[in-house]
Amino acid sequence: MTAVVQASAPAVTGLVVQRGFLARLIRRPMGAIGLGMLVVAVLVAIFAAFLAPYNPYVHPHVTIEDVYQPPTAAHLLGTDDGGNDVLSALIYGARVSLIVGFAASLMTVLIGGTIGLVAGYRGGWVSTVLMRFTDFTLVIPDLALQIVIVAIVGPSLLIIILVIGGLGWTSAARLVRSQTLSVRERMFVLRARAIGAGDLHIVWRHVLPQILPLMLATMVLAVSLAILAESSLAFIGLGDPTVISWGQMLNFAFSRGAVSAGAWWALLPPGLAIVWVVLGTTLLGTALEDVLNPRLKRHHLERDRSVRVTEPEGMSWLRAEPARKDAPLLRVRGLTVEFDSPAGPQRAVHDASFDVRRGETLGLVGESACGKTTTVLGLLRLLPPGGSVTAGQVLFDGEDLMALPESDLRAVRGKRASIVFQGAMNALNPVHPVGDQVAEVIRIHEPEVGRKVAEQRARELLERVGIGRRRYGDYPHAYSGGMRQRAMIAIALACRPDLIVADEPTTALDVMIQAQILELLGGLSREFGMATILVTHDLGVVAQVCDRVVVMYGGRVVEDSPTPRLFADPQHPYTRLLLASFPDVLHPERPLQSIPGSPPRLDAMPPGCPFAPRCPAAFDRCSTIKPPAYDLGDGRRAACLLVEPSHTPPEAVHG
Amino acid sequence: MAERPVAQENPVLVADDLVMQFAGHRSFVDVVRRRPTPPINAVAGVSFTVAPGEVLALVGESGCGKTTTANLLMGLLTPTGGHVTLHGHKISGRSRGELATMRREMQMIFQDPYESLNPRMQVADVVAEPLRVHHVASSPADERARVVRALTQAGLTPAEVYLHRYPFQLSGGQRQRVVAASALALEPRVLIADEPVSMLDVSIRAEILNLLRSLATSQRIAVVMITHDLSTVAAYADRIAVMYLGRIVEIGHAKRILADPQHPYTRALLSVVPAPDPASRRRPQVLAGETPDPARIPSGCRFHPRCPVAIERCRTDDPALIPIGEDHAAACVLVEGGRRLPPAPGATAS
Repeated sequence: MTAVVQASAPAVTGLVVQRGFLARLIRRPMGAIGLGMLVVAVLVAIFAAFLAPYNPYVHPHVTIEDVYQPPTAAHLLGTDDGGNDVLSALIYGARVSLIVGFAASLMTVLIGGTIGLVAGYRGGWVSTVLMRFTDFTLVIPDLALQIVIVAIVGPSLLIIILVIGGLGWTSAARLVRSQTLSVRERMFVLRARAIGAGDLHIVWRHVLPQILPLMLATMVLAVSLAILAESSLAFIGLGDPTVISWGQMLNFAFSRGAVSAGAWWALLPPGLAIVWVVLGTTLLGTALEDVLNPRLKRHHLERDRSVRVTEPEGMSWLRAEPARKDAPLLRVRGLTVEFDSPAGPQRAVHDASFDVRRGETLGLVGESACGKTTTVLGLLRLLPPGGSVTAGQVLFDGEDLMALPESDLRAVRGKRASIVFQGAMNALNPVHPVGDQVAEVIRIHEPEVGRKVAEQRARELLERVGIGRRRYGDYPHAYSGGMRQRAMIAIALACRPDLIVADEPTTALDVMIQAQILELLGGLSREFGMATILVTHDLGVVAQVCDRVVVMYGGRVVEDSPTPRLFADPQHPYTRLLLASFPDVLHPERPLQSIPGSPPRLDAMPPGCPFAPRCPAAFDRCSTIKPPAYDLGDGRRAACLLVEPSHTPPEAVHG
Repeated sequence: MAERPVAQENPVLVADDLVMQFAGHRSFVDVVRRRPTPPINAVAGVSFTVAPGEVLALVGESGCGKTTTANLLMGLLTPTGGHVTLHGHKISGRSRGELATMRREMQMIFQDPYESLNPRMQVADVVAEPLRVHHVASSPADERARVVRALTQAGLTPAEVYLHRYPFQLSGGQRQRVVAASALALEPRVLIADEPVSMLDVSIRAEILNLLRSLATSQRIAVVMITHDLSTVAAYADRIAVMYLGRIVEIGHAKRILADPQHPYTRALLSVVPAPDPASRRRPQVLAGETPDPARIPSGCRFHPRCPVAIERCRTDDPALIPIGEDHAAACVLVEGGRRLPPAPGATAS
């Protein structure tokens, strides 16, 4: 999962937004339809003089027979109360409606954007004054004030634009302010301040580019509101009588007997035209917001992921292994996870195999984007949308989790196998007391347990993880980060699971809190005989608490070894480099190395060994052969041609 | 904290008894009851000096005041007491214009290289931005030359390859190098690095730390590195200042402190750093509880409620930094008069 999240991260905020922007907008049905509808309206307005069969501003001599003529070949949409061609009026009306719409919405965004930007960026009393002014403007009934102003000043197109724009900016101001507030807190703005840049520079270079997309979406939506406002004003007789707009057409038709004459052709077309443009802009605006503000639509844990398990491949060495009496609690065999992508399925985890015994702590290590998190999510079938397990077996106490129906799997998750996520402390629900959230888990998995008993057990758990039973009724905000992480561990332990999977459980925490949490987890696993999988990048933690270590790189298990042997005698060059890059507080004089380059992306996996491009020991065969994990005895495996049983060092050939 | 135990020749940056108090959050109930809210003492008397070419690590847990100290050094906050001097000139209380000029001398590197680069700016623009803000470059050609020089100094060679890349096209280590290049463009004398590697993968931390170290050594830049991780500073800092609740509790020569910590907090902090060596599984000296709220600082020594070796006196006496040896001082009553810190009960040697 990590790989995919990271690969898509720049797309959210980066240049990709600008480049593929139009393409992504049009790829959405809403965006394509909305844009198409709007383009049609704009083209009609621009080429009105060519499209309209008559000029509605030039009134021919009419007789009474010409009034409210039903549609004919000469007048495709009939005639109106003045004997004018409705189609021509409709076409010319697009000009006025769109001019009012775009001009008023531009004004809306300029006023609202400026106020929101200044209020958000400056904060303090400036913000208070501006936002109170915004609130004040918001409570004024728009239409009533528009009527009053237009009635006093007189109906002209300019006045109508000014009134609509001058009252409609409040929501834009609020939106831009909240966006500015969040951009202002971003690190690159702070960095610009530290450089010594002035406010104008920061707003122009750093803040504005971030909120422009939002302003664009706001503006498109404001167009439809402005067109509706103009139509309403015109309809009640406050439009500019010298120009033809769709509202004006409706007004004349209504007030001059179109209804009693049964002249539907005078009423329906302008009404539909208004709906056309409003629908078009709304669709486009919504699609714009969708494209520019990509949010996670659904939480990935809510969905059942389909499992397409086929025969595990490339694991003959495992088949040969005789069944042992003390079967491990968890046996992962050939686990393969793929993510859907426009370029076809991308393999994030490839043929991962390892065991975890009861009471054992297994460390899963490697750089970011090496498939650690995806592996543990895959084995509990908690992959995010787009990801699926395509091969492999996960035997949990003898039962294949990949073959279980989702309903049975739910009974396993949380009850017999729990997972603690990295940002888990932010996963507590802020509106429920922490204790209740612990008790809730007990009652979900053990419905036979009564409310009182569940509460009693939740209090004991809080005591056990070092929070104390008295804090049962406190809300998450009253807990510190370390306490919340302890609460999440209490939730994970609520049903006395056999297996606990902790994905970077201490990464965001201070060292002292980290030590407390690790001591807690270690104590609990000894006490209850729990098996633990600890996903971490911290080799110090691994050395101190893990019994076994599985090193992952490029989605593959590259080394699997008991902890002491891994540190004393690493077999895979990647493991060696990883160890050399990790600082040792006991030996500060030891120089640290970094591993040049970065882990391969899913869409650019090297053809041979995934580590070959960064490996100092790589030789010709490494770029073509993907080495399987060779069994080295003593419970050790490594996937490297250098440890291949038949391998002769390349020097020997020449020697 | 008038005592300044560590004297150095010609320090470029001096923090002199810095104090930073923030107004406490006043709830509605407090206002109604006219209850005074205690101020938050984020930094409570911090003094140190940094010499050219020296790397000083400010170490502590979250809430110890190290980031506030960094912001005070940068002039991003105005201290409520004490002052910062750069080349002997006070920074505090300057106008924005003067501050901007002084900032050219002092640049900052931030924690998160993913967040601290504007995603819509090319590398060339990111690095040139400080030059443009301060109108340093005399011509476009001069600007380009300075940008290329800064990128080269930050180890992004050949610089031309990187000029027109966007942040998302760079790896984490390269991004942090771009941040460093942007800080180096103005040829500063002081670099303040706030957790420069904590967001990076372990495998690339060494390259950034090596870069900072070599900038200090070869360019004679004074580096203040703020971090919570003692193990990463161990190999790279010349001196260490350990902070707890707004105070420096131990300061001095890095290797000496790591080998022989003389404040109980430093010792505990050191013991919980997991060493990547399963053969030396140590009994970490895990302190109970968490760092207290800086609005309610304990009486006497601020560490005494969590201290495994506290004595009666610690409840009342607030110790100043006491010199222990050459370039080494600790704020603990137990090391007064040349005594050594007694071992913690139940602790085993590492």
